[in-house]
Amino acid sequence: MPYRLDDTAADLRERLYFPEVIRGVGILMKQFLRNFFFGREKNPDMLARDRSLSQNATLQYPEERVPYPPGYRGLHRLVPREDGRPRCVACYMCATICPAQCIYIEAGELPDDPIEKYPTKFVIDELRCVVCGFCVEACPKDAIRMDSGEHAPPSYTRAAQIWDEKRLLRGPPVSYQYDPWLRRGASSIPAEKLAEMKANAKPFSTVATDEYAQTPGFSVKNLAAEAKARGETLARK
Amino acid sequence: MADETKPPAPATAAPKPPPGPPAPPPPKNPGFVTCTIDGREVVVKPGTNVVEAAKSVGVEIPYYCYHKRLSIAANCRMCLVEMSNAPGGKLMPGCQMPVAEGITVKTETARVKDQQRATLEFLLLNHPVDCAICDQAGECKLQDYYMKYDQKPSRLDMPKVEKGKRVPLGPMVVLDQERCILCTRCVRFMREVAKKPQLGVDERGNESFITTFDGQPLDSKYSGNVVDICPVGALTSTDLRFRGRVWFMSSARSVCTGCSRGCNTFLDYLKETTFRYRPRENEAVNQEWMCDDGRLSYKYLNSERVLTAFQGRGAAARDLPLPAAAEAAAGALRKAAAGGALAALFSPVASLEDLLVAALVAKEGLGLSEVYVGGRPDGWQDDFLKRADENPNRRGLELVAQAFGLALKPFAELGPAIEAGRVKAVWAVGTEVPDPAAAAAFARLETLVCQAYNHGPLAREATVLLPAAPHSEADGTYVNFEGRPQRFELAYWPRGGARPHWALAAELGRALGLAWRFQSARGVWDELGARVAGSLPGFEWDSLPSTQKRRGLVPLAAGTVDGRLPGYRERVPTDAVGDTRMDLLKVTR
Ligand code: SF4
Ligand code: SF4
Ligand code: SF4
Ligand code: SF4
Ligand code: FES
Repeated sequence: MPYRLDDTAADLRERLYFPEVIRGVGILMKQFLRNFFFGREKNPDMLARDRSLSQNATLQYPEERVPYPPGYRGLHRLVPREDGRPRCVACYMCATICPAQCIYIEAGELPDDPIEKYPTKFVIDELRCVVCGFCVEACPKDAIRMDSGEHAPPSYTRAAQIWDEKRLLRGPPVSYQYDPWLRRGASSIPAEKLAEMKANAKPFSTVATDEYAQTPGFSVKNLAAEAKARGETLARK
Repeated sequence: MADETKPPAPATAAPKPPPGPPAPPPPKNPGFVTCTIDGREVVVKPGTNVVEAAKSVGVEIPYYCYHKRLSIAANCRMCLVEMSNAPGGKLMPGCQMPVAEGITVKTETARVKDQQRATLEFLLLNHPVDCAICDQAGECKLQDYYMKYDQKPSRLDMPKVEKGKRVPLGPMVVLDQERCILCTRCVRFMREVAKKPQLGVDERGNESFITTFDGQPLDSKYSGNVVDICPVGALTSTDLRFRGRVWFMSSARSVCTGCSRGCNTFLDYLKETTFRYRPRENEAVNQEWMCDDGRLSYKYLNSERVLTAFQGRGAAARDLPLPAAAEAAAGALRKAAAGGALAALFSPVASLEDLLVAALVAKEGLGLSEVYVGGRPDGWQDDFLKRADENPNRRGLELVAQAFGLALKPFAELGPAIEAGRVKAVWAVGTEVPDPAAAAAFARLETLVCQAYNHGPLAREATVLLPAAPHSEADGTYVNFEGRPQRFELAYWPRGGARPHWALAAELGRALGLAWRFQSARGVWDELGARVAGSLPGFEWDSLPSTQKRRGLVPLAAGTVDGRLPGYRERVPTDAVGDTRMDLLKVTR
């Protein structure tokens, strides 16, 4: 039995029947009016929703999603620095360690930057990726992260799951105080921009913390908006 | 003074000679020096230094500045060891100290270990450790020795010294002065081997850096070698820079085709692309050097390759399968041969095996008695390595022609013969010609069958174009200008529809009705090699010396990033004898 009914004798009101019917309709009406007139709480953090008026608990997937726990390994991103260039120096460490061998890199040379080298091609086949996170661990530059909190968006073509550097390079920039372009300056970065980057730079952490693994405020909505802005559509043509 | 008033001592005995060093013990092995290194007895020639002596019994003494073909500078101090004959028990540089009779050398003691760590800490003090962008990563002595002898974190708490980060020294070489450990190998190389002292050390101490003399580029034709001998990533090659990680590449033992010296090389490749040549040690030919032009001569292996057979000229060209193309070519050639208007043009860039089969087909299939010699035009020459003749196998061509009784005629006579209408059809094995302008004459030919590596002036005029595989995609032998036969091995399977010249010639031969069949270059040598073997005394086809072991990343069992099978920097194991590569292929392919 799913729940227990008390085996007590019905009292007079219950035996009269109608008052109870009216009370039941009343409860129904109350819930109906409450959910009908008071909007569904839209906070994507389900646990933080205010349930005092609306008790509607449905989640409008995929517009709304349950946030993943902080350690969740989502879609890769290539971390940009403030001037939009990738932090990645095309060292092939991630490609070397990747057990699925799904990262393909080609390196090019920057003429005007103390870092000299950058990926002209950086491709991840997200369908082959086994989401192990080794690439993130292996990167000596904190240039690849899986902090987007997203799994690969659904698509009708395999090609749409092969992410190139234009799609991967996104999200908030990160700078550390010891980054060579901050220490040595670069002819490609204007002086005031450099000062701003220096001000934003964080000390390099030797201990992995959630703060370093995750970028707060990084959401699928932004992702979708970005994709839309780029004119990409993953839907069936 | 007391001494002055003292009466002189009676001269009873002659004063004793001061005690000099004890007389050296008699040699245990006359003519050799015997000593003990780490408890092992070592017998070496007099004058051998400790590093080499230790190497001969498998004891590794780490070093940076020492190079066995350069003078000894002993400035890196990585090789310090304990030697029993050292004054005051000091640690001595093993690269500079010759072993002496009866001494004991210790390389494993706590003192030695401690100084190795200290030396590495010193070298890494101002080293930028940008391994992530450094092209030396994977073959860097700092990385290797750090993992082996140091493994201590940095104690530096102030900024590192900053120097020039990207200094182009010359057309081949870029210098990163920060990464340099001032071992002066490059300086000594330019002075002693290249005989062009174009490099030097400027400033002192912390501030020292390698540089060229003011305003003068490092333009020696041997400058590429300094990249090879630099133990760290200070000198990088403009050509390879950032194009690939060395730990992904495999190497085949090959021979440079840049000139008729035939410098021994490692051909480093990844999938079906050749990335670079590195000199391979051969005391008799190139020691361990090669010239810059040779180093860059690999490019034709990668670009503008002919990958399918074509029939027809220019816009009318259509590709067709190799056997059909061979039939078409054979038909046209047979007709021309019957009319006596056929000429064969053999290139001395093709290997001995290629030319053996080509000569066989020319002689027996087409009934020719003379061939024209194509090949690249002459280049520069010096008295070190480079020869003016830029064809690797001219001697081989001469030997083959002699063996088959074919007369060799210079290319210069072919043009006029075509103009005069005496030659109406040409079969070109290799499309390199000494005079590209003369290729215009080939447009008049009724039939031009070309076996070509690349699209070029001659290949454009071909009526039948057959795709040939160059030495990176084939096995074979070149005979250098001294008559020294040198084997090269296949690095990767022929691209696209390309086949080695010998296979294409054999296909033609089949279409012409010859009964010869060949399975491999080895098979060609077995069948036809006897005809030239008399001129190549002592040559065995399976004679490639085995390669040396190199440190590097152990390949992942899962394979490598570019989807190729797990490989080794040198595919052939150290103790390989004969052509074990073929056995390996059976396993891995
Ligand atoms: S998460 Fe693992 S499988 Fe995916 S790209 Fe990174 S290393 Fe490769
Ligand atoms: S490991 Fe990091 S820096 Fe290196 S190639 Fe990968 S993302 Fe770039
Ligand atoms: S020279 Fe060696 S240690 Fe220095 S950056 Fe290059 S690879 Fe790293
Ligand atoms: S550039 Fe290289 S070879 Fe030359 S001194 Fe510096 S470390 Fe040695
Ligand atoms: S190798 Fe002996 S001091 Fe450098």
